Amino acid sequence: MQCAQFEQILEQADGPLPAEADGHVQTCPTCGLIYEDLAAIRAACRELSAEEVSPPSRVWTSLRVQLESEGLIHEVNRGWLSQLQLLVVGTPGAVPRIGFAGAYLSLLLIAAFLLGLRMPPQVGAFTGDQPAGGVLAQVRPAASLVSEFPVAVVANLNQTLNGDLERVLASFPERDSSLTTSLQQNLGIVDNLIAVCEKSMREQPDNPVVRQYLYGAYQQKAVLLATAIDRSTLEVR
Amino acid sequence: MNARTISANSVFAGAAMAALMLATSAGAQTRRTEKHFAVEGKPVVTVQNPNGRIQVKAWDKHEVMVLGQSAGAGVAVDTEQAGNRIEIVTRPTDSNVTTGDLRTDYEISVPTETELQVRSDRGNVTVDSVHGDMSFDSVAADVALQDVEGYLVIKTIGGSLVCTRCAGRLDANSISGNFQLVQPVMDNVRVQTSSGNILFDGSFLSRGIYVLKNYSGTIEVRFSSNDSFDVNASSLFGNVINQAPVVPDRHKMRAPKYPNSAMAQSLFGSMNEGHAKVELSSFNGTIKILKRD
Repeated sequence: MQCAQFEQILEQADGPLPAEADGHVQTCPTCGLIYEDLAAIRAACRELSAEEVSPPSRVWTSLRVQLESEGLIHEVNRGWLSQLQLLVVGTPGAVPRIGFAGAYLSLLLIAAFLLGLRMPPQVGAFTGDQPAGGVLAQVRPAASLVSEFPVAVVANLNQTLNGDLERVLASFPERDSSLTTSLQQNLGIVDNLIAVCEKSMREQPDNPVVRQYLYGAYQQKAVLLATAIDRSTLEVR
Repeated sequence: MNARTISANSVFAGAAMAALMLATSAGAQTRRTEKHFAVEGKPVVTVQNPNGRIQVKAWDKHEVMVLGQSAGAGVAVDTEQAGNRIEIVTRPTDSNVTTGDLRTDYEISVPTETELQVRSDRGNVTVDSVHGDMSFDSVAADVALQDVEGYLVIKTIGGSLVCTRCAGRLDANSISGNFQLVQPVMDNVRVQTSSGNILFDGSFLSRGIYVLKNYSGTIEVRFSSNDSFDVNASSLFGNVINQAPVVPDRHKMRAPKYPNSAMAQSLFGSMNEGHAKVELSSFNGTIKILKRD
């Protein structure tokens, strides 16, 4: 094996080396050194990831200004995707915490769920008369959320949100007890609204306005979770 | 002077001395930061302060001045300038720092045309006479804006907003915060709070859109006889109180229907020529459309 081939394999390998490359590294001192360096860098990266270290936000700001000044990026209008990113991550440039991956996933589910609600109604496309398969079949699950009241889905989302909120709030340091209290008080308000809306929904299952209020309350709960995650990232550096 | 009086005086003097020592100790820990940044054009100022008061005022210098007063040690004020972008961050340097120690009050002077991005969770935020887009993100901090102009975005969990003589456009969202718009000059207002109250006391501009929504609490708008707007107000399980002389079907629009909602109260119609569009909606709160005194 040539050194160039070895380097190519090394770039793509994310684990033990193939036998042929392993043989080369044993006989070539130059490639042996490269391999050792790379192993050390990977180990250091793993440690850093475990500590969840992220660069200060001012680094992102400086980078952004530099890239803007060089014309490599430019300010764009915030579309729904950027807004979703803001909802999920909070401050632009903030790095999501790996420990809250489940909570981020909940937010994405809620966002996707609410996005589905905002899709223009295509009543004809989602009737039971449609043939199975094809594009329509693929989009049907999301659209069904609009046309049918997804009690089970919403209940599951609520349970997931509750678990995520509990976990995120528990991660707040002691000094933030007043912040935690404030978030919990507002969580109580939102939960109360959800309960009232759900009661009305049971009484008037066909009322789209009640449904909109219920979904709006869930959206508020997702905002609360996003805020809690965002604040939990304010750590000692 | 008897023994009892002497004893009482000694206790008082001791307590006063202890209080003085505590105050001196606290004063010694107070840390002051002053920074000046020369800027050109429209600067962008970002402030992240978990706890403390933030006062932003416009002045006529091409400079941003930051005065910070931190309550104790274990907290750092980081500032950074990159071109016209200035970032101010309060952060704990010690994991044992208390909420009180983390408190930092800011007085920030900026050129009139400045874009602001503020994140503050506790403590009031006041902005006076700044013209530029602004965004505020808070948990419990109240926001007071006066004589500002621009695209204003407010996101709070429990904090309230008082906006006096604000111009431009407003998007505000809260869970339990109240919103008060006094003498606004805005043509696009979208405000939502779950359990808070909303007050809009100002003119509805021609072609303006005003969407005010809550779940509970009161939504109150005040109008004058010259105002011209289409109004669509509905409270699903609450009340609508109206003093506006609206007439139906000015623009031949269809009234919204609320199926199976015998309890819903709604009002739909036009006042004068209906130049603005006003949408008021509540789940079980009270909507008041009142004539201004």
